[in-house]
Amino acid sequence: MANADHNPTRRALLGGMSGGLYAAALAHLQGLGLSRSNAGEPPPAADLQPRPPHFDPKAKSVIHLFMNGGPSQMDLFDPKPALDKYHGQTYFEKIAAEVESPQSAGAIMRSPFKFAQHGQCGMWVSDALPHLARQVDDIALIRSMHTTNLTHEPAVYLMQSGKMGPGRPTLGAWVAFGLGSECENLPAFVVLDDPLGLPINGVENWQSGFLPPVFQGTRFRSTGSPVLNLKPEFSQPGEVTRLTRALVARLDEQHRQNRPGQPVLDARMASYALAARMQLAASDALDTSRESQATRDQYGIGKEPTDSYGRRCLIARRLVERGVRFVQIFINAQIWDNHTALATDMKAACLRTDQPIAALLRDLKQRGLFDSTLVVWGGEFGRLPIAQLAADKDERKAGRDHNKNAFCTWLAGAGIKGGTTHGATDELGLKAVENKVSVPDWHATLLHLLGLRHDQLFHMDNGLRERLTGVNEVQLVKGILA
Amino acid sequence: MLRFFLLLLLPIFLALPGSKVLALTPTFETDIQPILQAKCARCHDDKSRKGDLHLGTLAGIFKGGESGPAVVSGKPGESLLYEKVHKGEMPPEKKNRLNASEVQSIKDWIAGGAKGKEGPLALGESPNQHDVIPILLRRCSACHGRHRQEAGLDLRNKAAILRGGKSGPAMVVGKPEESLLIKRVRAAQMPPPSRLVEASVKPIEQGEVETLARWIASGAKEAAIEADVASQTPDPLVSDKDRDFWSFRTLAPVKIPQVKDPGRVRNALDAFLLHSLEEKGLGYSNEADRHTLIRRASFDLTGLPPAPLEVEAFLSDKSPDAFEKLIDRLLASGRYGERWGRYWLDLAGYADSEGKREQDLPRPHAWRFRDYVIRSFNADKPYDRFLQEQIAGDELADYEQNAKVTPEVYDNLVATGFLRMAPDATWANITGFLPDRMEVIADEVDILGSGIMGLTLKCARCHAHKFDPIPQRDYYRLLAVFKGAFDEYAWLKPEVRPGIGPVSQDVAGGRHLPLVAGEERRAWEQSEAALTEKINEAKARGDKEKVKALEGQRQAEPRVQALWDRGDPSPTYLYRRGDPFSPGRLVGPGVPSLLTDGKTPFIATPPWPGAKQTGRRLAFAQWLTRPENPLTARVAVNRLFKHHFGQGIVKTLGNFGRAGALPTHPQLLDFLALEFIRQGWSFKAMHRMMMTSAAYRQSSTVDAKRLRLDPDNSLLSRMPMTRMDAEALYDSLLLVAGKLEERRYGPADPVQGRPDGLVTPQGAATGWRRLIYVQQPRKKLPSHLELFDYPQMNPNCLERRDTVNASQALHLLNNGMVRELASSFAERVRREAPGDSTRQMELVYLIALGRPPASEEKRLGMAALKELEEQWKSHLADGESAGGKAHAEYCHAILNSAAFLFVD
Repeated sequence: MANADHNPTRRALLGGMSGGLYAAALAHLQGLGLSRSNAGEPPPAADLQPRPPHFDPKAKSVIHLFMNGGPSQMDLFDPKPALDKYHGQTYFEKIAAEVESPQSAGAIMRSPFKFAQHGQCGMWVSDALPHLARQVDDIALIRSMHTTNLTHEPAVYLMQSGKMGPGRPTLGAWVAFGLGSECENLPAFVVLDDPLGLPINGVENWQSGFLPPVFQGTRFRSTGSPVLNLKPEFSQPGEVTRLTRALVARLDEQHRQNRPGQPVLDARMASYALAARMQLAASDALDTSRESQATRDQYGIGKEPTDSYGRRCLIARRLVERGVRFVQIFINAQIWDNHTALATDMKAACLRTDQPIAALLRDLKQRGLFDSTLVVWGGEFGRLPIAQLAADKDERKAGRDHNKNAFCTWLAGAGIKGGTTHGATDELGLKAVENKVSVPDWHATLLHLLGLRHDQLFHMDNGLRERLTGVNEVQLVKGILA
Repeated sequence: MLRFFLLLLLPIFLALPGSKVLALTPTFETDIQPILQAKCARCHDDKSRKGDLHLGTLAGIFKGGESGPAVVSGKPGESLLYEKVHKGEMPPEKKNRLNASEVQSIKDWIAGGAKGKEGPLALGESPNQHDVIPILLRRCSACHGRHRQEAGLDLRNKAAILRGGKSGPAMVVGKPEESLLIKRVRAAQMPPPSRLVEASVKPIEQGEVETLARWIASGAKEAAIEADVASQTPDPLVSDKDRDFWSFRTLAPVKIPQVKDPGRVRNALDAFLLHSLEEKGLGYSNEADRHTLIRRASFDLTGLPPAPLEVEAFLSDKSPDAFEKLIDRLLASGRYGERWGRYWLDLAGYADSEGKREQDLPRPHAWRFRDYVIRSFNADKPYDRFLQEQIAGDELADYEQNAKVTPEVYDNLVATGFLRMAPDATWANITGFLPDRMEVIADEVDILGSGIMGLTLKCARCHAHKFDPIPQRDYYRLLAVFKGAFDEYAWLKPEVRPGIGPVSQDVAGGRHLPLVAGEERRAWEQSEAALTEKINEAKARGDKEKVKALEGQRQAEPRVQALWDRGDPSPTYLYRRGDPFSPGRLVGPGVPSLLTDGKTPFIATPPWPGAKQTGRRLAFAQWLTRPENPLTARVAVNRLFKHHFGQGIVKTLGNFGRAGALPTHPQLLDFLALEFIRQGWSFKAMHRMMMTSAAYRQSSTVDAKRLRLDPDNSLLSRMPMTRMDAEALYDSLLLVAGKLEERRYGPADPVQGRPDGLVTPQGAATGWRRLIYVQQPRKKLPSHLELFDYPQMNPNCLERRDTVNASQALHLLNNGMVRELASSFAERVRREAPGDSTRQMELVYLIALGRPPASEEKRLGMAALKELEEQWKSHLADGESAGGKAHAEYCHAILNSAAFLFVD
């Protein structure tokens, strides 16, 4: 961190506390910036060495289950009896500017799903999520999220990077920048995207913006070659590969000896060494066949429609187990973007993800990782209380359009008060009204759980302190903290 | 609006005419004024109105500053004054903060109606045209404005409203409820709810309707309000003291310092650098050897390694000015513009697509700007002219009256593409609302501010700059300069290809002009005419399939992506807190006050007789490039210095303000800036000066003493070792492999993406072109670029990073194209020195590294080759090809070596 107080005693102390890997970590392991652009400021961290947080953290790692597309809050977590009452009444004129597709706007629509209270806490969950319903005492639900744009791209950018446009560092990149990594052989920020396709905004979802690229998310694919360039794209005997690498190492050693006092050359040699280790470590982390059949069954691996998402959830657990700081799981394209056929399509999205997510929560608990891992679920916005109709106006195929003024997210694990329901929306679920949580509030709360102060985590860019939360006034979501 | 609010309150006060003010309710003059005088006056008295806020009088408080009124009578919770003192945000210095009872007094005073001795401030003014015009602009002008007058109605000013449209006058003065405008709006017919998104307009709010109604009711008054512009009286917001900062001061002649070791001084630049080093007890490092020098200079000026013959020629040139001649030769190379043009494209935020949306709308004509930049650098176009063309090329010469598109006119127009580079999703209705447009404008201002002016202007969009004397007003004056081209109420959108996105209501037209040079135009017209003829023939034959096939061959009309002034700009209002729905005062065009004497009016006139253009950008560009402008030359030479010496004299390349870094060598910076201007703003003259200095010829070797006394090399006690940037590496790999096709200019070469995420340039049969000629779509950047720190253009990049990481290693080791190029490199070497393995190894080094191998390198190489060949032999039936394969792998290792990637 640009601001970190680099007191070795403090660092060693905190490093020891947070897993003891600090001392073992190699300096300049994966990256080193050559240029320093800000006089008067210490050069910003450009490596994955573990760095102490600002205060004692609750969480050491994050698994972000990013439900891109905009899951419908009033069909999953936020029951609205008023929708039943006003079902069929016209409402569009009142909210015209909040509707992305006015031509297909219909009347107020009740939820096709049934709600019930679950767990000791009595949290309301719809029957679309039967597996999660059994874990509600572990999660804290926020019903009062709101954002600033009702279009996917800007809303996803905001959720991921704090700004409604491309080019800013993403959440995972900020966390990697702030805390470095506890793992020598794997990237700090790993992205598990869906083999079926990229989410909206594609690879921009894990970019590092003005932070060094070492903090960028690395895509691990759950099938095929796990990381781009991890294996040679040409065939040659393994021994030839080994000889070539040995030659590079010897030539580089020569080169370095003739140029003492150039730390970048050390970093360069280390980067080739890491590249070799990463080839092994990544393959190992991704190998779910090493898990017991019982575990794989829990996640729904090997059966449809849970196999793909279950596999990624299990890999996420294997990654945080190995010290990866931030894992983000994506779902292909827009399965939550239920403009049409909400009753069937949203149900399908739940069927793909519900069991794996519940299994992940249980698995983390069983392995003692729940106290150090923060699990976050949510999309970029919510949906409207009115129906969205296709050209034939068939209500059985109705969906819901985007809604920026209310949506739900939940958090679980380290530092979270399980069983909490925080905030509330209005009668129709159109707008968050009580204990409202903005996206910057949510970001700051995530950072807080990791021991980072949102106003102290900054990067000097052209003389200015750039932060994830920007210049927004921010309030932590204290109601969900343990 | 303030006036509106007070008016609402007025009846409350009027209802209590005789009631006595409670003894406990504070009064402004006796209770509040003294507090403000003691704690706030230093920054907010009538002389120094920071944030345009004057807290000395009741009127000043109600008028407020850049963030709006300081007090909302009766509502402390909504009053900025209370909020700031209550939270302890103001005054900024801790020791001056208000104590609890003072804060309480202010709260009570506001809660009690914020009264003075005379009672509440009588501000019962009725609204004037500037209260209603912004409402009409943002809610109505998409369909009743500049480029579209549905039902013949224009609602942009009073005269037009009175004139009305097909249904008659839109307003009956004095009678809001009889006015069509109000009737339609009240009936929720206008703006029509179902068409709001189509027009990228948000619905009108109740308060706005009331303001319109009150304006009409009170006589549709037009107040004589002048736009806020610089006048001949001193600026109340920016003082001469504010201007007294090193970078805001005008350049003054500098004395060249004396040094102890004049033997190392080759030109004036050395005198400054050496002087600073000597003060620290240091001197220059030894001069680098000639192999190092030619490799360094070649990469610096052309982005490519020297050819073996060039190395040989330089080594055998024994004349004292051999290096000078080398620099001249490199500067004359067409490769120079490709290297230095790239830096400028970074600064401009060049991209071949609009970004922001999933479709990543292509910019099919952007490449012309890339070519313009490369040609300009190669022609050594003077920087002042270069800037004028890019900022105001459309106002430099009349392009509308002249039928012929001269090369000059073409260049002028293509150059204005500079301010069309920001990411932009306003082509889609749902991402084309007013705030979205302002975001695009803000990005363009940021590019201009950081890249050219060295100012973080963007900070002043929402409030007065926190560090520099840039009032918010100055930001909006600058927007007024650009309003003829960037008008958020008459917005030109990026052109949508068929099939992408719905049609917009707002049809101002696109951003392209069909004005390419005559030759290209003629060639296109001829080919289209020939095609039409063929199509007609086919039609006559009734060959429908042929017709269809031929239609598919039609080429898009060659056009220029440009920015141009369309005249008749909308008025510019300061947007409080940057919010376009919260307009403040009317401002006119002007330049940042801190860079002037603050009392010189900004004068813009139409650029030629009868021009519709305002001439504002031309006036701005001319002001920007006056030799007296303190920043333009300093910022430019600093950037040049950075690219040659690894870091700028000012390390924050885009921030010369108070939050930026101070110059390490202020005198040298000023000397270079003056020299730049004296040499006619010639970049090549500056390259020559910097590169022929003794400083540049130093070795990059570090010793303990230099590390101790000059740890970050800001004194330049040695040359920095640098990592090749993405383009230099890619281009060099192609060059050494003999696969570089040096064809310049023209449409960008396409890229292809693989399912696993790898994006590569599509090579042609003839080879691959330099990376600058490969498409750069924002969402599909070539992987090689990304891995080697090509920046995301957000909106631009002044300084790339140069990281070293494992992903790069994996790419160079495992990527198929790199390996293929290594094979081509090996074949080339074997072709040039058949059968002679010693000579082959020498050639590998000469071609890739510009030097012969050292003996240890030879030994390592020979041993590795032998082992590799043996390995291959044991795997291949055909012993002959084992040698070739081993050699290819050897070349692969060299291309992976640090010696190749780093430049000494």
